[in-house]
Amino acid sequence: MKDIKQLIKEGQHSKALSAILRQARMTSDYSTYMSLCRLRRKISSDSTASPKSANLKIAILGGSTTDFLELPLHLELETLGLGCDLFTSGYNSFVPEMLDTNSDTVRFGPDLTVFLINPFNIADWPNSGDSLQAVQSIADRVSDHWLGLCESLHASTNCEIILSNLHTLPTRSTGNLGCRLDWETNNFILRINDLLNHKAPAFVHLLDIAALASLYGVINWFDSRFWYHSRQPVSFNCLVPFVRNLSAIIGALYGRTTKCLALDLDNTLWGGVVGDDGVEALKIGQGDAESESFRDFQAYLLRLKARGMLLAVCSKNEQENALAPFEQLPEMLLKRSDFVSFKANWNPKSDNLKIIANELNIGLDAIVFVDDNPAERELVRQMLPQVKVVELSDDPAEYPLLLDQSGWLEIARLTDEDWKKTDQYHENVQRMEVQARHTDYDSYLKSLNQQALICEINPQNLERIAQLVNKTNQFNLTTKRLNRSEIETLMGRPDVFTACVRLIDQFGDNGLISVMVGHIREKALHIDLWLMSCRVFKRGVEQLLANYLFDHARKMELDMVYGHYIPTQKNKLVKSLYANMGFNLINTDKQGATHWCIEVQDYQPVHVHISLKENLSNE
Amino acid sequence: MNEEIIWNRLTEIFRDVFEDEDIVIGPETVAQDILEWDSLSNIQLLVAIEKAFDGVKFNTGEVANLKNVGQMVDIIIHRSKE
Repeated sequence: MKDIKQLIKEGQHSKALSAILRQARMTSDYSTYMSLCRLRRKISSDSTASPKSANLKIAILGGSTTDFLELPLHLELETLGLGCDLFTSGYNSFVPEMLDTNSDTVRFGPDLTVFLINPFNIADWPNSGDSLQAVQSIADRVSDHWLGLCESLHASTNCEIILSNLHTLPTRSTGNLGCRLDWETNNFILRINDLLNHKAPAFVHLLDIAALASLYGVINWFDSRFWYHSRQPVSFNCLVPFVRNLSAIIGALYGRTTKCLALDLDNTLWGGVVGDDGVEALKIGQGDAESESFRDFQAYLLRLKARGMLLAVCSKNEQENALAPFEQLPEMLLKRSDFVSFKANWNPKSDNLKIIANELNIGLDAIVFVDDNPAERELVRQMLPQVKVVELSDDPAEYPLLLDQSGWLEIARLTDEDWKKTDQYHENVQRMEVQARHTDYDSYLKSLNQQALICEINPQNLERIAQLVNKTNQFNLTTKRLNRSEIETLMGRPDVFTACVRLIDQFGDNGLISVMVGHIREKALHIDLWLMSCRVFKRGVEQLLANYLFDHARKMELDMVYGHYIPTQKNKLVKSLYANMGFNLINTDKQGATHWCIEVQDYQPVHVHISLKENLSNE
Repeated sequence: MNEEIIWNRLTEIFRDVFEDEDIVIGPETVAQDILEWDSLSNIQLLVAIEKAFDGVKFNTGEVANLKNVGQMVDIIIHRSKE
């Protein structure tokens, strides 16, 4: 903290900012965190110290005060590379704010609204002795009231909504007997949570306060003194996990998703140093406290893998030594095949992380680095500030929790694609091996036996489209993010052209990997959105989609097609895409965006090694 | 606990919470004397004090109605376990 103050004194604001952001992610202590928030505010007037990216408009509503959230939410989102404009309405004003189509909140036009409720906002409680049926109908009424407000706000603003569920109360008037009583206060609260969790529509994302309060203990989570004093819904000691969880959801909604865990080996996945101690001496498995804790960390990693997280090894080791435990120790839950990349050598870890990112074709900011060695962690933080580095302790029993609480593993939605992630990357490796056998790229592509299915956006592929639109960075011409409901409005309109590509080859199904959206005005089609997953770069999909687009344009008797390239830090790859396809440059605007057009009759279809099956459904 | 230590530590907390390295506090200092002292920063201040002095906890009445910094110090003297 002293260093940061010194940097600020010296006017080195951008250095101070990086230090603040780094520190913020390492601490979960409230006082330290608030001090960082205040230091951040001190230099906020200096624009050079604010690499502001997408400015989200976020409204915060609640049955509690919400101004305590302002500074920490700003800071926490900034650590995820997100800027925001915050709007907070007064305490307990949420009903008119959400219902009135001309309220301040609606006029603010939020991209996202955070709606915080707590048990004290429940207006209607069961009476002692009420039947299950009576309790259920009150719980329905209460939850429908809140969800109805969400529906209403969504209808007038189209915003995504984060809704908190409820923590239980510390007192139990019926003691342990309460377990059996449906009308008992906390059972009633849990029933409401259950309804919220299950009935919330897709644009409502739940902030699981119930889980957080139970993790920290209701007594610690909620400080009644400050509720009475000024309607604080969460004790300040638990503010950091609160803000971290809230920001994690926002981050995941706007594409700040972690795709890969890069893991150290010695004393991270097993106890001991394989090169020094030998395979037999390693601590992993049953019958010893430390060995069991390493085993359980591996089990936790496998659960992450099962929901789509990629695992990679990044270790300073001889390759042979590093592989030995995987091959020789049956106690190892993780197998070599669970990893999509395996880097064991003596190069700096920052170099290896860059190679891993390259191999998997993901950004460095999509990697979380897990290493027990503080020196390695610090090195990576310094060399690659984009990589997220978990602050591990020296106790393996704490590893799963520390990783879990980092807030970096949040996912906004799960699709069928996610279950198959690791397989798909392994198939990619096989493809690369085949490529190496072919001397020319063309014959390699031919050997892949590629088939594509193209269809419009439809209710079945909506989830996956939303995921692609919000997290694709490299092959993305306009990087225009759309939420689920905005995408929904594109379906079935005669003035909108949508195309989604699914690619299958001899090694497997790559799934839905490319999306194009355009609108038709007069005799021209304007491409508003064009993106493709990095998994299938250089396979001919973009040419295939362009051919398809111009086929359609001809059938619809259009004359012109317009395209736009809006540069970001990550999409240089497609800077010349339109030029390469024969489009003519109209102009380049002040922000560096280029605008292109081509007459439909001038477009020359490109031959690709993909056979096309049009309009088949996705499943 | 030595009263001087308390005043030094307390001054540091005030300076951090109210972002002003020049704040000077005395027994008669009240919320109106410090521009940023509102109900939100009041909580931040009390939480920071509770954390800095082991054993100190303000009760609900004190959270809402502390008269001045002098009263704060009295409470710290009586409750601090150090």
